[in-house]
Amino acid sequence: MAKKRPTRRNRNAKADREFVSEAEEILERMRADLADLGDQRTTSGNVDPELVNGLFRSAHSLKALAGMFGFEPIQDLAHRVEDLLDGLRLGRVALDARALDLIDDVVNLFGELLLNVGDVSALSGAGDRIAGLIARIEGGEGEVAAEPDEFSGLDIDPSLLRALTEYEEHRLRENLQRGRHIVLVESLFEIVSFEDGLSELSAAIREIGEVLSTLPAPGETPESQIRFSLLSATDLSINELSSRLNFPHVSVRSVLRGRSLDAGATAGGAAPPSEAREVDAPAESGAKTMQSLRSISDTVRVDIRKLDELMNLVGDLVIQRGAIGGVLTQLLGSPENSRIAADLTKTCKALDRNIKGLQAAVLDVRMVPLRQVFEKVSRVLRGLRRELDKDVQLEIRGADTELDKLIVEELVDPLMHIVRNALDHAIESPAERIERGKDPTGRIRIEAFQRGNHVVIAVGDDGRGIDVAAVRAKAEAAGLVDSDETLSEQQTLDLVFSPGISSRDQVTATSGRGVGMDVVRSNVTALGGVVDVSSVPGHGTEISMVLPITLAIIQSLIVRVDRQPFAIPLNAVLETLIVDAADVQRSDDREMLNLRGEALFLRRLAVEFDLAPAAAGPKLFVVVLGMGELRVGLVVDALEGQRDTVIKPIQGPVQNLRGIAGATDLGGQEPVLVLDVAALVDEVGRRREAA
Amino acid sequence: MSEIDAAVAGGRTWEEFGRGAAGEQGDESISEESRRVLTFEVDATAYAVAVERVREIVRIRPITPVPRVSRDVRGIISLRGEIVEVVDLRRRLGLDSIDPIRSTRIIVVSAEDGRVAGLLVDAVHEVLSIEEDSIRAAAGGETESVESLCTHGDRFISLIDLDRILRIDADG
Repeated sequence: MAKKRPTRRNRNAKADREFVSEAEEILERMRADLADLGDQRTTSGNVDPELVNGLFRSAHSLKALAGMFGFEPIQDLAHRVEDLLDGLRLGRVALDARALDLIDDVVNLFGELLLNVGDVSALSGAGDRIAGLIARIEGGEGEVAAEPDEFSGLDIDPSLLRALTEYEEHRLRENLQRGRHIVLVESLFEIVSFEDGLSELSAAIREIGEVLSTLPAPGETPESQIRFSLLSATDLSINELSSRLNFPHVSVRSVLRGRSLDAGATAGGAAPPSEAREVDAPAESGAKTMQSLRSISDTVRVDIRKLDELMNLVGDLVIQRGAIGGVLTQLLGSPENSRIAADLTKTCKALDRNIKGLQAAVLDVRMVPLRQVFEKVSRVLRGLRRELDKDVQLEIRGADTELDKLIVEELVDPLMHIVRNALDHAIESPAERIERGKDPTGRIRIEAFQRGNHVVIAVGDDGRGIDVAAVRAKAEAAGLVDSDETLSEQQTLDLVFSPGISSRDQVTATSGRGVGMDVVRSNVTALGGVVDVSSVPGHGTEISMVLPITLAIIQSLIVRVDRQPFAIPLNAVLETLIVDAADVQRSDDREMLNLRGEALFLRRLAVEFDLAPAAAGPKLFVVVLGMGELRVGLVVDALEGQRDTVIKPIQGPVQNLRGIAGATDLGGQEPVLVLDVAALVDEVGRRREAA
Repeated sequence: MSEIDAAVAGGRTWEEFGRGAAGEQGDESISEESRRVLTFEVDATAYAVAVERVREIVRIRPITPVPRVSRDVRGIISLRGEIVEVVDLRRRLGLDSIDPIRSTRIIVVSAEDGRVAGLLVDAVHEVLSIEEDSIRAAAGGETESVESLCTHGDRFISLIDLDRILRIDADG
């Protein structure tokens, strides 16, 4: 029945993109709500009605959106799901595993359809599956029949009961079943300001319970005032509730027959206020359609490329400001211009403040919380948990930590891989865990926090830990280390980031055969980050990634070799040294320094880059670079201080410039090369291994 | 001063210039039997590249040398914030590199994959419409970078194979 032909053949590609990006956001929200719903249903059995409402609103938004862009198959399906969800939130359809699976399937199909938007044949080809799902939806309705006289036990004016909407009735029924107290909160408000007073009171009730319905109350009221009744449900006793609702002109009475006014017995004890989630949501009555419309339009969708452009412009502004500074210095040098120079200096100070502000504001726009990524990961984990038959609880902390959007995008895959590995390899089966005296439910913890200009994301598990001996054996078999080579435990652990090493022989569909941890490391270092591993056998593993907050503007150290400047990202610079040339020691053909007792191997940038070496002087300028465990001292001709740099990609026929991460403008006409520290350090490490 | 020099000197962009030229001739005049090329000079030899591949022509500017790369890549330049590699066409054609002269220009072209690159040439001449039947395959000629030869009046012009020119091994 849904096999309508898509209306427009030559769809406008831009409109398609807009549709897809908005629809993806809606689906993302639905997936998250659905996952939470499933969790709540299995763990506590009590389901937050806002989740069902949220899903309902999302389906509604999706339907409206699809209609607007003329995607009829998607619109049809969304319409059916909306109906199904409406049935769920009104209690007409039982919220069981079948219903959840069904919605899950529909959401997944939406996801697939979105991939093929613009491909008319793919959309119409999905018609059968859409029809199948719709048939499943229709087959499941009407399972729960409302009991007739269920509200007879309530001491409420029948006119009030009749005024309840179907949804409100359902919520009332639900709360009754959960044994909550049903109360009527009545309050008088000044007509001129009743909206504020009412929403304040509603919010207060939501903190400790649920507002089922808000109705104008009958009864005598002075001219300028209006009376409202809020039918509410709570776990608190009437007394507790009254004392919490510390508003003037408020009265509370229980409407549950057979319970005295001061019924101290609280059903369920001091349960946490699970309904208090959306305190700022407007009162239930009639505002639902408005809400769904608003939720689409209160943010502005911006293409990240536009932000890049903006960032580039700001970067150029910074550079031009630098050029003005140069002119200013010249002006200050000539006595006849000193007054103008002083004025200009003041103006420039003001300009600096504004440029800084602008830079911060643009950076801020690029920042997104990690929440979405974490939710994606936890969703996948839930699916895998079922598949692998492992019992795992995922704990997420610091989801509000913000990172540059680009970095967040690049982070999804590495993070997913680490978590999969933890679930697949690290967490033991429930039986094995019991045998080892562990809680049968394993734990995986994802934690994010900011540390200075970096964000740390750590994934920890309480699984079996990494078998260092097995890693060593694998590495030897793969020819990565010699059998007589001595490695510290940490050095051996770090081998898990080498290609071809996996901690278990078993190959699974989930994690594959050890591919990935090396990719994780290369992805993270490509972002200017560092990844580390620590593990305690039998107790668990932690993998932590340290990432820069933004890639857009980074601090760089400017060095010079053979009169050519180079920029080195500061996050890779551990320290800079000026050493006596006489302190350089040699071993074979390698130069090194004794740096606080450790050997620091030196590389001369002039040699690496085939530039003219500087005349041998008494002093040597060394930049100590660090990537993970590796340290290298880079010898340069001169150190020229730190600068804000915007790293830009180099376009041209040669794609992989070895040792070069990109280029940057420093105000001169010629671009300055930015060193790829990870690659340089890696080369040295490799050479050391080869030696 | 050639037409293109005038365009560059007068601050007209290449796009404007191209539009102007197309407008003068009338788009209809570009029949299937002719194609429009930009001619330029390297080592006193006339070469040409299809105009569709030309993004702009810029005067010589400071070029940052890039280490560890084929010597055919002269270095990188900044084009209004975009960083672009510049191929030294003299070296690419097997000739000796020279220091820039007054007429030296960088032709900014698009590769087949849309990436942008600069071509360092001794001088840029003009946009020509050349007849298809004046084009001969380069007969196993001087260099594999030349796709074909065409005659314009009594002059020979070598049409370069841009995609081949832009395929450079990283290490050279």
